[in-house]
Amino acid sequence: MTRPTTKEIQATAQVASVPVNEEIATRISSSIGPAFEGFAAIAGTLPFDLEPAHYPLAQAAKVSK
Amino acid sequence: MSREPALMTLTEVARAIAMKQVSSREVTRALLHRIAQWQPHLNAFMSIESEAALKAADTADAELAKGKVRGPLHGVPLAHKDMYYDAGKVSTCGSLIRRDFVPSVTSTALQRLKDAGQVRLGTLHLAEFAYGPTGHNAHYGPVRNPWNVAHITGGSSSGSGSSVAARLTYAALGSDTGGSIRMPAHFCGVTGLKTTVGRVSRAGAMPLSQSLDTVGPLARTAEDCALLLALMAGPDPEDSTASHEPLSDYVAATKGSLKGLKIGLPASFYVDDLDSEVARVLDETIAVLKREGADIVKVELPDQRQLSAASQLVLAAEAAAFHKRWMIERPQDYGPQTLMRLQNGLAVPAISYLEAMRWRGPALAAHNAATAGVDALIAPASPVLAPTIEESDVGGGPNAPALLQRLSLFTRPVNFLGLPSLTVPSGFAKSGLPVGMQLIGRSFDEATLLTIGAAFQRVTDYHERLPKLPS
Repeated sequence: MTRPTTKEIQATAQVASVPVNEEIATRISSSIGPAFEGFAAIAGTLPFDLEPAHYPLAQAAKVSK
Repeated sequence: MSREPALMTLTEVARAIAMKQVSSREVTRALLHRIAQWQPHLNAFMSIESEAALKAADTADAELAKGKVRGPLHGVPLAHKDMYYDAGKVSTCGSLIRRDFVPSVTSTALQRLKDAGQVRLGTLHLAEFAYGPTGHNAHYGPVRNPWNVAHITGGSSSGSGSSVAARLTYAALGSDTGGSIRMPAHFCGVTGLKTTVGRVSRAGAMPLSQSLDTVGPLARTAEDCALLLALMAGPDPEDSTASHEPLSDYVAATKGSLKGLKIGLPASFYVDDLDSEVARVLDETIAVLKREGADIVKVELPDQRQLSAASQLVLAAEAAAFHKRWMIERPQDYGPQTLMRLQNGLAVPAISYLEAMRWRGPALAAHNAATAGVDALIAPASPVLAPTIEESDVGGGPNAPALLQRLSLFTRPVNFLGLPSLTVPSGFAKSGLPVGMQLIGRSFDEATLLTIGAAFQRVTDYHERLPKLPS
């Protein structure tokens, strides 16, 4: 996963009905871009059956010392 | 009664009122006097309700005289972050958009403190919509750090950190989505408890990110945090995400010893690139914990930068979804910093957001496996001391964006995992600015953190030191 480009951001913002100009899209790209890069190693690697609902199960799991 | 009422801890003043050693009116007046002195310097309060507070204090005193005790906070004056709805009273959420917003419900956390007898002093300042790490607010001005008013308090619970440090309230509710309790606790030198996701109901608390938001107290001591947690924690029919996991006796936990406890020191990330004063305080804190009987062991944690990245994707997407309507209809009514943060969410596709959310379970399981041998972790709450208000503002120069990222570097991973974390005043820099260490626990194990924090505070005095009123 790479940081979204200015054009991609403008497209997703348009779909969300909150259009942004090129200058704002460039600023957004540089601000949130590092988060995409930081998550790149995980993106696209998760097992098929994994759901967000596994989180509360992990929370409730007893951790042995 | 051993000291001036305003300087007591929450636990002490609640006991003193209950034993009729001091009246609710006396302590309320004492705090209002300090608020009048400090507020012009700090800007910590959003509203000060002197008359109503004194009237409520008189009612509490009259009830007590007749033998009626509402609960453990009977007659104790408190103020909270102005995002906890109190039916019929304005809750600005630090914003222009909600400047006149009057909720019709009271938040569960606040209601439980009201049921316990608290007296409302007013409301506390915060970052606009609780979305900012510094304490800047374009509409109401920045909140200032009592230890040096040129410096930030940290955010978003800026008024909570500042007012507790200056002894203007005995404790305050904050909220923590990316570090908003722990950063003000660190920068202002107070004790702050970020609770496990689900431990305290979020009903009636202004939302920022439904997956990451947590409710918790900032107070003068770990014992005071325990008292408030005990009152607030537990299931709530108004919030289906409030957990049914068993509660502990949090106040009893503060009497425990460190002997036999294993505390993990991360081998990397949380110990890298620290300000030299933060590094010194970390070493000194570890020495105290060892001396008191804790076993300190090095722990290799999974990649914390990935957790931080995932946390940012989730926060950005969820915050933008909450604010979409106003981003369309009233973009001009947001402060520039807040609007820029909200716009970041426009760049997060649904698939990226959901991938981050799907990873949360395995990420927590991996963390649990890595920390299975220890009771808690210790780490700095932030790698840096409080920067100045000027240098951390949007126009603060070319280094400002990187500085802002660093402030919350050590808090965001904990939010993604949803773990509890207690920040404890642990020392002071040569400049006089406080330094806090965070203890990170297992899910729903706030009790162990409170044991460690209270034991540390029994043998140190950082939490008792007082900032001086600026001239």
